[in-house]
Amino acid sequence: MSSSGTPLSESPPPTAIAQDPTEPTGPPASPSTVIANHKRKDTSKVIVRFRAIGNAPIMKQNVFKITASNKFMAVIQFLRKELNYQHSDPLFLYVNSAFSPAPDEIVNNLYKD
Amino acid sequence: MHTTSENPVARVIWEGSIPIQFIWDPTETQGRILEPYFVEVPRCSYLSLITNQIRRDFAAKRLGFTSDEGEMWFDYQGIPLKWHYPIGLLFDIHVLQATSMNKETELPLPWRVTVHSQNFPGEKLIKNPTLKSCQDYFMSMIKEADYIRNGSTKKVMNMSKSDQTQLWEGLWSKSYDQFWGMNQRLVSNDGTMARNLPVRIYLPENCPVIQDLVSPLDEHGQPRTLRHILHAAVPDLFPLVVVDAGLSSPVASVLIHGVRPSLETDAIWAAQTMAYPDNFLHLVVVLE
Repeated sequence: MSSSGTPLSESPPPTAIAQDPTEPTGPPASPSTVIANHKRKDTSKVIVRFRAIGNAPIMKQNVFKITASNKFMAVIQFLRKELNYQHSDPLFLYVNSAFSPAPDEIVNNLYKD
Repeated sequence: MHTTSENPVARVIWEGSIPIQFIWDPTETQGRILEPYFVEVPRCSYLSLITNQIRRDFAAKRLGFTSDEGEMWFDYQGIPLKWHYPIGLLFDIHVLQATSMNKETELPLPWRVTVHSQNFPGEKLIKNPTLKSCQDYFMSMIKEADYIRNGSTKKVMNMSKSDQTQLWEGLWSKSYDQFWGMNQRLVSNDGTMARNLPVRIYLPENCPVIQDLVSPLDEHGQPRTLRHILHAAVPDLFPLVVVDAGLSSPVASVLIHGVRPSLETDAIWAAQTMAYPDNFLHLVVVLE
């Protein structure tokens, strides 16, 4: 899977999150162009910090860069791999200790929250 | 000022429903053609909430049928339907948005949905679509909405367990008063201005869902409208100013609960009144 997170220390400094272009000056793009642009995978990354609560094991390396356009599922799968968790081992993930998003939510949307 | 529980718009939305014709996948019935199951379902409900009654109906027609609740799934025209989305949202995305793309005018009602008990598409749908999982995802959405409004989930967490349960029970038992009696406090944010509004925008062709931070007021302290929100997300589809209003028609509009609201609708009002029970305002974009 191309979406796997990379340890921060082994990566180049975090790239800035792509900014929206400033107000367009030309004529508006056609709807089909707009849709095609939104479907294109954004390769920018966001930084995710894992914090263990309850019985969760404490990780030596707990800060990772994860592709922003990934689904939250990728974060769950990545963490399972990091922790060497089997499929049957229960694992619960909360964002900012507040809510547990559905696996199909987009990482970047959660980052913006 | 009206509270939402007296608001006729919220009640009409709550009572909105869709007739569905459930058809068993013929490849899963050993060649038997089973009578479809017809049912009218609230737009605000979830497929997981009606799975059991569909299962009972098909079980009655089919000797020796055993299917686990966690194995059943649904598709429309080959596309698996997300069981953790409200049914009305699924209909707006897969029927209304899709038919507007194909320039079809005839509405396919009842909605013909295929039922499966085998080959759960685990790569397309979240696994284990039980009533319990559905309740968990529903409450999670309500917490996420609270987090977007307040930067914390205190409002939900400070509710007693039984008050929290009332939200789900109200939805489950289709009781407007039970649900809105509790939910009013959340959507109105106890009368304080929300930091941001819980809004999701769905573009056609299965684009990734857009969920930006939407402040209810602009930089001048003026309330934003739906047009402002949509313009911020997809400026090319939703211009702020229609320059040649007489010459060109808008390229896109938006659906909430199957209807096209005016884009000048106040965003706070829309978020409080037209949100689904999960507390999110789900905006489905259709191209004209």
